Amino acid sequence: MCIRCEISRRALLAGGGALAASLVSGPAAARIKPADMVPLIGPGFKPVDRDEQGLWEQMDRVEEEIAGTNLLIPDNGIQHYVQQLIGKVGGPAAKDMRIYLLRIPEFNAMMFPSGFAVVFSGLLLRMRDEAQLAGVIAHESGHFLRRHMIRQWRDMRRKSDLLSIGSMVAGLGGAGAGIYLGDYVQLAQLGTILSLFRYNRELEAEADAMGLRLIAEAGYAPMAMSDTWAQLIGELDASAKYRRKHRDRGYDLFETHPAAESRMTDLRVSAAEMTVPGRHYDTGRDRYLSTIAPIRQMLLDDQVKLNDPGASQYVIETLAQDGWNGLLRFYEGEVWRLRNRDSEGDWTRAAQSYAIAVAYPDAPAEAWRWHGVALMKEGRQSEARAALSRYLSMQPHAVDAAYIRQMIG
Amino acid sequence: MRFRTRLAIAAAPLALTACTGIGGYGGFGDYYALVRAREVKVGDGSMAVTPPREWNRQRRTFFDDIRWVEDWTLNGPLLDDMTFISGLPHGEYLIHTNKHDAEQVPRFDSDMTAPEIQAMLESAYRVRGGAVDFKTISLTPRPFMGYPGFQLDYEHLDGDELWRKGRAVGAVIGGRLYLVMLDAARSHYFPDEIRDFEAITASARLRS
Repeated sequence: MCIRCEISRRALLAGGGALAASLVSGPAAARIKPADMVPLIGPGFKPVDRDEQGLWEQMDRVEEEIAGTNLLIPDNGIQHYVQQLIGKVGGPAAKDMRIYLLRIPEFNAMMFPSGFAVVFSGLLLRMRDEAQLAGVIAHESGHFLRRHMIRQWRDMRRKSDLLSIGSMVAGLGGAGAGIYLGDYVQLAQLGTILSLFRYNRELEAEADAMGLRLIAEAGYAPMAMSDTWAQLIGELDASAKYRRKHRDRGYDLFETHPAAESRMTDLRVSAAEMTVPGRHYDTGRDRYLSTIAPIRQMLLDDQVKLNDPGASQYVIETLAQDGWNGLLRFYEGEVWRLRNRDSEGDWTRAAQSYAIAVAYPDAPAEAWRWHGVALMKEGRQSEARAALSRYLSMQPHAVDAAYIRQMIG
Repeated sequence: MRFRTRLAIAAAPLALTACTGIGGYGGFGDYYALVRAREVKVGDGSMAVTPPREWNRQRRTFFDDIRWVEDWTLNGPLLDDMTFISGLPHGEYLIHTNKHDAEQVPRFDSDMTAPEIQAMLESAYRVRGGAVDFKTISLTPRPFMGYPGFQLDYEHLDGDELWRKGRAVGAVIGGRLYLVMLDAARSHYFPDEIRDFEAITASARLRS
């Protein structure tokens, strides 16, 4: 259901519960081949069984909350763009599925059982091209097309005493508090809701295989999906390393079952199988970057200001594989400035990044401001004043213009 | 700085336990103490302010024990919060920080300029306050307790989907951060309490 459920410790902790954990335990399944994956539903699918109808009713309430939340990213063309993508990789349900973009700076996306998907802004930040985003959406579509929620629900009910969808919701979420699902949405604790949708490994593997098939049929490079997975693992490792912790420390399940790595390996093998030698695959990189351009600085800002230096630096360096620019150099500086570790010379590193950033024509105005502040700290007053003046000339109505003018003197 | 959505709700029961065990306080009522409308010491006692009406001081809790930081509220921390910082020294944090947390509240440095203090506060809201959007409205020079300082006005959208608004007035004096900050629901509570904030800020003085 969600791309990082298996390795997101945060989601696990939020969901808690032995039941949630039991859903992902068990021996690793054999690789599922994309060629074997066919959609189990057709266009315009509606549930006919009572349990599934009940589930959809619950999900309609969640969707209503999400559609009205003020965490939605205002439609500036991006919403239309991702809706088009789901049209490309949504298989037979392409016209039935809805997608919502929420401003939450986390690397995640999820498909709800009634056919609507939620993509977090943090995911948009991390995608290097359209193929990667299409891969994530295709994976989520795969859950819907293969009817995973109801299959897992029925399987779980066979093994447990849970009587209804409602009791599952109450039991798994909110530490058993029985809170109305909408509350989670209001709290933006969507990580919590993920605990409901943590599929067993076989279903995740199915969604991977189904997704791979969908993007390959749409003309995207099949390897895009395993690249995303590798990025996710790399980022979690980088974040943990900075804290001198192992990514999975404290959660034995992953130490005995390296699910993340094995999923990535399976995806790579399957992608190689699906790749047609000599064929040109579209990455849609330019299209993707021009679409998210109006919000890219906001996406970087939301990530970097969380002051998770390991993750932020990893994200920036990953994006910079396609070329450094003023925006990325500026945010590299912001990572070090906010970390502010004397022993690592963070202010010096930040100052260097700002100095490099302002040499690029696309450097944001803020890069000039911080370049000026850095120069001032180094005692280079006249250069600092020039940089701060440049900031004000780029943004004469900046919110801090009055203060910066005082600094210039 | 009462970091609501993630911290405040979780903090309450633990705080009670801690109070009962350490200070001998018991019962929910002891979580807050009345602040009279007369001059009172705040934080570690090195700053004093005079509120124009009665407020409630939130007791420091086991893991929210920064001695230079004190919180008051009128209607509960979900609706409003007045924070006092009474001389935070170099290298210290606004809130108790676990170095193993993925997301870190930035540290205060004695040579910080107002833009850096603004950035530190913004990250604190994003990291510990659950803010998904934070907008600085203005950052202007303003004297505080007779020293050159700044005024920061801001708004933030939190994970509970409520817009809150804030104003902070502060100064770095002798390398330490002194600051008063009001943070309240943008509708009704902030406009209702900004007069208190201004009166308190105007009354603030250093105690020797």
